[in-house]
Parts: sequence; structure tokens; C-alpha cells
Amino acid sequence: MSAVFAPFRPPSSTVVFLLAGGVGSRLNVLVQSRAKPAVPFGGLYRIIDFSLSNVMNSGLEQVGVLTQYKPLSLMHHLGTGAAWDLTGRIRGVKVLPPRTGSKDSDWYQGTADAVRQNLDFLSEHPSTEVVILSGDHIYQMDLEQMLAFHRSKGADITVAMMEVDIAKIHQFGTGITDGDDRIVEWEEKPEKPRTNLASMGIYVFSTEYLLTTLARNRLEIDFGMHIIPWAVEKDNVFAYRFHGYWRDVGTIAALWEANMDLLRADSGISPQAWGIRSNPEAEGLVADRCPARFAAGCKVSGSLIAAGCRIEGEVSNSVLSPGVVVGPGAVVRDSVIFADCHIGAGAVVDLAILDKKVVVGNRAVVGHGDNHQIPNHLHPKHLYTGITLVGKKAVIPEEVVIGRNCIINSDAHLAPGAAIATGETV
Amino acid sequence: MKLKHGTLAMILAGGRVNELNVLTYYRPKSAVPFGGVYRIIDFSLSNLMNSGLERIAILSQYRNFSLINHIGSGAAWDLLGRYRGISVLPPFMASEKSNWYRGSADAVAQNLDFVHYHRPEVIMMLSGDHVYHMDYRQLIEYHRGRDADLTMAFVKVPLDKAHRFGVGALDGEDGSLGGRVLGYWEKPEKPEHDWASMTIFCFKPEVLYEELAREVEGQENFEFGRDIIPRMVAEGRRVYGYKFNDYWGYTRTVEEYWQTSMDLLGPNPPIRLEEWGLRTNLEHRDIRDYQPLRVGAAAEISDSLVYNGCEIEGKVERSILFPGVKVGPGATVKDSVIFFDTKIGAEVRLDKVISDVNVIFEPGCRVGRRPGEPDGGATVVGWSNVVPSGVEIGGACTLYPHLKKSKLAEKIKSGEVIK
Repeated sequence: MSAVFAPFRPPSSTVVFLLAGGVGSRLNVLVQSRAKPAVPFGGLYRIIDFSLSNVMNSGLEQVGVLTQYKPLSLMHHLGTGAAWDLTGRIRGVKVLPPRTGSKDSDWYQGTADAVRQNLDFLSEHPSTEVVILSGDHIYQMDLEQMLAFHRSKGADITVAMMEVDIAKIHQFGTGITDGDDRIVEWEEKPEKPRTNLASMGIYVFSTEYLLTTLARNRLEIDFGMHIIPWAVEKDNVFAYRFHGYWRDVGTIAALWEANMDLLRADSGISPQAWGIRSNPEAEGLVADRCPARFAAGCKVSGSLIAAGCRIEGEVSNSVLSPGVVVGPGAVVRDSVIFADCHIGAGAVVDLAILDKKVVVGNRAVVGHGDNHQIPNHLHPKHLYTGITLVGKKAVIPEEVVIGRNCIINSDAHLAPGAAIATGETV
Repeated sequence: MKLKHGTLAMILAGGRVNELNVLTYYRPKSAVPFGGVYRIIDFSLSNLMNSGLERIAILSQYRNFSLINHIGSGAAWDLLGRYRGISVLPPFMASEKSNWYRGSADAVAQNLDFVHYHRPEVIMMLSGDHVYHMDYRQLIEYHRGRDADLTMAFVKVPLDKAHRFGVGALDGEDGSLGGRVLGYWEKPEKPEHDWASMTIFCFKPEVLYEELAREVEGQENFEFGRDIIPRMVAEGRRVYGYKFNDYWGYTRTVEEYWQTSMDLLGPNPPIRLEEWGLRTNLEHRDIRDYQPLRVGAAAEISDSLVYNGCEIEGKVERSILFPGVKVGPGATVKDSVIFFDTKIGAEVRLDKVISDVNVIFEPGCRVGRRPGEPDGGATVVGWSNVVPSGVEIGGACTLYPHLKKSKLAEKIKSGEVIK
């Protein structure tokens, strides 16, 4: 019998599932037409760019992106995957939406259910470990190191965990570890915290173990609620400790905060240094914008300004995506402005997030008054820190004055000069 | 049904231009950076794309890595597809008579196999080193309407500058649109006409083939402007001039490069970047991977163009900054053009400086025009230089690329050339 040649370069032994199906409803109008991972961030990026770039920079090569809610914007952004070097004979990124078939014909019921419905993707790409990531976090992490940890512990499951503010621990899955970083107890979103060690929603599974555990009970639909607690009790689950910048930007306040973190040199977040890649080509021909143009007499400080902006007025402590125009005498302060917004002459945008292509008329004010503490009446849990939110392509006519914690929907009709009180939704 | 366009465009992008000096030390002129993120050839390529001309050849022989790298697959200009493409045509060894390109016409003549392969209905030749926005379809339409053997584009220049160009005498046949070329002089010492050739030619293919094949005893047949066009006009060929009536920027000297760059600025710049539909290739130099421009708390920016990846702590006035430029606290950059990834340290003063890529201006150095000094032109700093702290370099100086540190150890007077 002739010798069997090993492949010259073995493909990566790891398959990645990126969970990008969540609604992220707390992001309100920002997720009206897109999934949470496709929400723009930091001027040039989308939230999912961080997870995808981590995958690329960790040398992982096969990615399935599990989508369900409004996936078009996300699919468009992923394109061929070339932006993250995920095209080629042994590399690939595939969008995995829910589908009908002889069995498993249903929407994804939860994180574990979504993976269970795509076991064929797993069998197509033989692996020893499966990495399961969420597509809506801002961080940098070497997944190869986490895989090495997983292997060295002989773990069935490894959960990435970090210490968080004890006041926020109720939002997370939490684990209590022994001296060897083995997780001995698990509590999902505990009301009374016993630890400040929180799950980041990043898991490494040994492939064999994942297959067995998913086959056990189809009613176990969520990793954090069902799969991990069971495994902690019966099998080998370890905590991989992460130290560094990590944010779940699932709320308007958190999204705004993380954008503001970009403006501070000491915040520990740096997309460029982290090697974060985006896909400007998904924006089509408008991708190659001309340099940002600063007119004589403009004032800009402490801000991030993307190419294609034109600044004639004043911008401070803000993040501007490509193509934003700030007219003469206009003031933009403490705000996050998505692509191609037009802020008219003499207008003020103060503590606001403007989705794409918003037009703010001359002398209009977005974010007026001092009642930051009066939350939005309709969505008091979405807007309560003073941020006013304006939906995609909304038109705010001249001299309209909008208060704090307001929501202006895309199709809002406002009369010129109208006053929108703090906490209102239009 | 309209079949695919039958025009083949050939960009003559071969040359190095002596007067541009250190900026064309490592790259052909068409690949010189311009406008904060572009290369000069982007203007021609974008005009072609926006005119729907999709079969393009680039004739290139001087240091062409930078150009080939920039062109990439051509996808940046949507020139990648079944009926679309850019071919770079360098000089080659042949089984007999191997030659460098000895001129624009010779370069085309050496690539006639390529031309024949595409069976063009019109062959358009253009240069890759001018800054303008033009719909070539109008030129081609005029060329066809007049059944011309050759149609050339002309633009009006001041008579005292016309000696630097090919100059045509046009009759009034088509008024403001153009007319028959009655006379043509290549770089005449005493020009009598102010219509300058933009070096954009539309040829009827069979006429081009005939003219390239001509052998005249004792005469070279290598240059369109010097050899072929004057002869065609003299022999009564149907040569027409198409009048172009908009901005045309040329960048053949350092001063022209600087002035054309300044034409990007001001309240109503003649170069309308935002409107011209300009495309460039973001794939190289990691342009697409830079984060947005970071403006520090104490920064001042006025009348300037600044691209992603820059970090500004100091003052930037009437300047153009390419990706990745850093301006330290207290530094002042005025009337300058700063190429990719140049680092300008704290308290540095740059005034009318053109800096090539990867230059480091160490804290406190001063380069360029000094207050009170007569304006003697821009100081050009070649790539990968380090200008040490405390050094003063005057206006209109030229620093060759990658100088030894000892060469820049002291004060350098205005107008000096450091090699």
C-alpha cells in the first residue's frame, strides 16, 4: 500500500459560530431596519466587525454567522468575507439563516437551538473545537489563546469571563470558580450576586461534547440558561479569564458610552491598534470618500471625524461617520452621528445619536434643556440618561426644538419651529 | 440594441518628470499622491470610468511598482469584468529589436498586438498626470461627428505659459465646441496661440496604424507631439481640436504641484473633489484600515483636507494631510502637503512644505518658508527622512530621499539641495 500523504497545510481544527440573530430591541430605532451586530460604531465600523476581526486575527478560518432578525444589512456588510480575509479554498464565512426542511423547520428559539439547527455546517467542516461568539460586543481577544487554555485544561466547555461592576452583575451569567479556574457553580442573571465574574458570551466547546450535549434534549435552547448550568454540574467547565476592554453595547447608553470611550486616549479601546477591519465596499461606490474638509473658521476638538465629512461649524467630543456635513455656525457636542447626516447652519446637536442620513434644519436644536433625568415616556428603559435618538433619514425642519431623551422616528412629520418636550416620542 | 463601447483607451503613464524631482524618485509621475488620498492617475481613471470607457491599457516603464500596486485588479474603478479591464503594458524583450519605450508613439507602436487584439473602433490616448474632470464621450462624439482622423483636446492657457505645451491653431468651424487644427507646434519658443494640447488624442485606428508605420529618412517617429501630429496637420489629414472649458491642473514642477494642491482648498475650490466622482484604490497602504481622524482637545484645523488615520494635536492651516499623518501638540503645519504616515513632532513648524511618505520631523525642528522671507517656493522632503530636533531648513530646499542623519545636522539655507 502506498503512503498516505498528510495534507501540506492542515485546515484550522476550529469552527466558529457567530451569533448575530438577536433583535437588540433596547437599541430602539437603531435596530428598526438592521440587526444589532450591523449597528454602526466608531465612525467607520459596525459592531460585528470586532468579533469578525478577532476571528481573523486569531487565525480561525471557518465561520458560520447565525442570523434571524432583519439580516439584509448584515449580509450586505459581510459580502464575500474578503474584508476579513475569509475567502479562499480553506477559508469562508457563511450566513446561516433559519430554513425549512424535513425537520428543524422553525425559527431559532435560542442560542443553543440556532447551533443545533446548523449541525450540518459543523459536519461539513471537521473540527475538534467549536468557538461560539456573540456578534455584538466591542473588544479585542486572541481566541487562539483561549483555545490553547481549553486544550490544556482538557475542558468540555470553556467560558470567557471577566470581572464586572457588582452592580451590573444581574445582567450576566455568573460563575463561581475553584482555584484551578474550574467553574463549580453557575447562576444566570442572579438577583443577589455572589461573585463579580461574568460570562462574556464566548464559549469554546469540544466538538464531540457539543454534539452529544445538543442531542440530549431539544428543549434546551439557550447556552447560558440550559447548556452551561447542566454542564457545570456534570462535566468539565472552565473559566478563561479576560482582562481588558469589553462592552456589551446593547443599550443606547452603553453604545454612546463606548463611542465616547474612543475619544479618550486612556480608555483602552483602539480599533486601529486592535486590527479591526470593516467592509467599506459594502457601501458601494460611496466608499472612497474624499478627505474630511475643514473650512476656515471651523472649530473641532476631542473628536473622531471620518473621511468625507465637511465641517464649517463647531464639533466637540463627538464621533462623526463618513459624509457628515456640519453647516456654518452649527454646534455638535457629545454626540454620535452616523453617515451622511446633514446638520444645517446654526443648528445645535447636543447629546444625541443620529442614525444615517438625518437632516437637521437650520437653527434647529436636538437635545435642549437640563432635564436629563426625565426618561422617555414610551421607552423609559431605553432612554434615561439624556440622550436623544433620531431615526434613519428623519427630517427635522428649521427651528424645531427637541428636548432630552426624545425619540424621533424615521417617518416623523414635524412642523417647522415645533417644540418637542423632553421625554416625547414622535 | 447598443453593443459594447468600441473605444480602447491607452494611458501614457510611463514617465518620470525631472522637475518634480524627489517626488518621482521612486515612482512615476502618475503615481504621485495628490489630494489627501488619491494618486494623480485617479483623475484619468475616474474620468474613464465615469465616461463608460472600460477597456484600458496603461503604458508604463519608469519604476512602475508603485503604479501597478495602485492599479491592483482595477476593481476600484469597476474595471474588472468580462468586458472591462485594465492591462498594464511594460516594455518587453522581443525576439528582435528590444527597446525601451522611446516616446509616447513608440510605446503604442510596440504594443500594436495588444491594440489589434481588441479591434477598437476608436483609439484614445491620454496622459495619466493631469488633474481635471472631463466626459470623454463628448470628445469621442465630436471626433466621430467630424469623421476626423485625429481629434485632440485643447484647453486655453495664458499665452506666456503656452511655450510649455503643444499649441494648436484652431479654426472657428464649430465655435465653442472646437474646430479644424490648422497648425500645431510642440513647445514653441514664441507661441502665437493659447490653445494648449491636453495630450488627449482620439485616433481613427487605420490612420494611427499608418502613421506609426511611417518611416521618414533622418527623422524619428517616436513622439505624437513632436513627430506625428505636426506632420499630420501639415499633410492635410483631418485633425480636429475639441475645446475643453473647465479646470485643468498640471503638476509638472514642484511649484505647479503645490499650486494645484492649493486649488483643492478655499471656499470655492476649482477642483471639486466632492462632485467629480473620483475613485481611488483603498486596498494598498492599508488606507481602508485606518480609523477616523482623531482631533485632540487643543487642535486647530482650518481650510484643510485631512484623511482617516491622522491624529492632530497641533495647528493645521491651509494644508492637505494624507492617511496616517500625526501632528504633535504645539506644532504648526501651514500651506503644506504631507504624504502618508509622516510624523510631525511637538512644536515643529512647517510652512510651505511638501513631505513625501514616512518622514519624521522630530520635535522642535523648523522647515520651509520663514516669516518675512520672500516666497521662493516649496521645500520638498524626500521619503523616509528624519529631520532632527533643532534643525532649521529654509524655503525652496530639496531634500533627497533617505538622507544620512549627518546631512541634516545643521541649519540649511533657503534654496539648497541636499543629496
